[in-house]
Amino acid sequence: MNQKARTPNVKTRQLTSALLKELKRIHLYILPVLWALFNIYCVIWITLTSLKTNRELATNPWGLPEAPQFENYTRAWESANLGLAFRNSVIVTGASVLLILVFCAPAAYALSRFKFKGSGWLTALFIAGAGVPAAMLIIPLFGLTQNLGLNDSLPGLILIYSVVSIPFTMFVLTGFYSTLPSEFEEAARIDGCTEFGVFWRVMLPLVSPGLITVAIFNFVTIWNEYALALVFLQDPEKLPLARALYGITSSMQYTGDWASLFAAVVIVMVPSLAVYALLSERLIEGITAGALK
Amino acid sequence: MYKGRRLLIVTFLLPALLMYTVFFVWPALQSMHLSLFEWSGFGEAKTFVGLRNFEELLDIIEIDVDNQFPFLHPTFRDQLFWLSVRNTLTYVFLGGVITFSLAFVLSAMLSSGIRGKKFFRAVIFAPNVVAVIALSQLWGRIYNPRHGLLRNFLLLLGQDELAKTSWLGPDHVLMSTLVAMSWIWVGFNLVLLLSAVEQIPKDMFDAAKVDGANPFQIFAYVTIPLIWDVLSIAVVNFGITALKVFEFPYVIKGLQAPKEATTMAIRNYVVGFGRRDPIYRLGYASAIAVIMQILVIILIVVFARLFRRETIEYS
Repeated sequence: MNQKARTPNVKTRQLTSALLKELKRIHLYILPVLWALFNIYCVIWITLTSLKTNRELATNPWGLPEAPQFENYTRAWESANLGLAFRNSVIVTGASVLLILVFCAPAAYALSRFKFKGSGWLTALFIAGAGVPAAMLIIPLFGLTQNLGLNDSLPGLILIYSVVSIPFTMFVLTGFYSTLPSEFEEAARIDGCTEFGVFWRVMLPLVSPGLITVAIFNFVTIWNEYALALVFLQDPEKLPLARALYGITSSMQYTGDWASLFAAVVIVMVPSLAVYALLSERLIEGITAGALK
Repeated sequence: MYKGRRLLIVTFLLPALLMYTVFFVWPALQSMHLSLFEWSGFGEAKTFVGLRNFEELLDIIEIDVDNQFPFLHPTFRDQLFWLSVRNTLTYVFLGGVITFSLAFVLSAMLSSGIRGKKFFRAVIFAPNVVAVIALSQLWGRIYNPRHGLLRNFLLLLGQDELAKTSWLGPDHVLMSTLVAMSWIWVGFNLVLLLSAVEQIPKDMFDAAKVDGANPFQIFAYVTIPLIWDVLSIAVVNFGITALKVFEFPYVIKGLQAPKEATTMAIRNYVVGFGRRDPIYRLGYASAIAVIMQILVIILIVVFARLFRRETIEYS
């Protein structure tokens, strides 16, 4: 028999039987498919809408734009100075995430690997912050930052973002540290490693998945945040991206320039989604790992 | 060695502890203190008023009783505050029911071995990585009464009357906002629940099916107990998140937060910092925050009780 002639038939048969098997379970696909279609359509729709003229929004809601209005994007970019906002976001988010890691990685290590008197209480204190609404903090913090001269400044905002991220970060990191085996630590100590060396050379590499998870989670949260920036920043030159988008939504109400608003929404949305498309596995794994521990 | 260890613990712990105490713990305590005062924020003059802020918040001027449901129609001194309480609790409880129902249904579907599970999970989760402000504008656009997606869709279906609904108007804005926020929340909780459901060994389900259990019984007696730990974290986290809602409703209509969808957090911000309606009663705003905090604590305590149970080990 001719072996080569057989292979395409086998493959087609396999595919067909697989398809038929799935068709039997089609009722399980309906909701996920509809949901996914809706989400994808939203992105497409908002992108198409952003390329229309303002009049087209009403007259031609479903179709493609007659001529793509890229000026909507330049208008949005320039009116809100989004280039500057992007730079601010990079600075604020990057610095905050760095600060969080530098402060929390050692602290969580100290609390979970050394059972000293009060370590349980301190851990609980850190984690309890997760149940404190921002409303409890913003009024006194506003006064405090004013007194320290940190009001309406990027360093002030970085500090605030870092502090409010502490409870969640400590929750994940202390949980993560406590799952690590202590043999490596002990071995390192027996080998004459200093305490700091044990942390730096042994524990830190071991806990790095947890650090990456926390870093990604905090990065996404802070990058997308606008409420605290709304309270603590007034200077239009210092606004990060999400906060700048809020500014556009306000001013758009006066000008009625919806299309530019959507251009701005696309500018904010697409990079997040693009990065997400690359990293989604990582991110989701991180969240599930954190919850399952 | 012992001394080195002491020093290390202190050096490692101190920065975070210091920063946390000064910029988190102390301000939280200050809010509680401030709630007992009347202060405009300008100048040093703070007047001690004791619990008067709370009295004012909780004050009922009169109650109309009528024989129809829901019987009591209280008129509060601070109607806007109570509206925000109603809205916040709606988001928490109704939002919780909607979110977790959909999340459970979706995780059941996705964990049944269908193809493309990872794709669906990623797409459904996607709104959680986009800035809430962008999503709020997207939905504001979907709900737009003149050229919104929902309106055009309904027209396409021939539902001309329904298409005239003002989704962001006072009658519907609360539910509209809730639906939109649930869309985001479902994605997040789906990921949590799915990972927990997939941890359950397949033989558990097989054994139940052999014993003749229908899908509902399997759900109630196999799935739920075996994901209890993750479920409790998911529920408590959801409750706290929903209580704190601010960003989405604040901008759904662009300029001003619609009062029919305003939350307690928004009320606290407007009373304390409001730029358009300068109220500037910082003590009063802090009282609102304290009430929010009390609600969070109640929520955590109640759910901790409800979810208390030993962990299950797989043999």
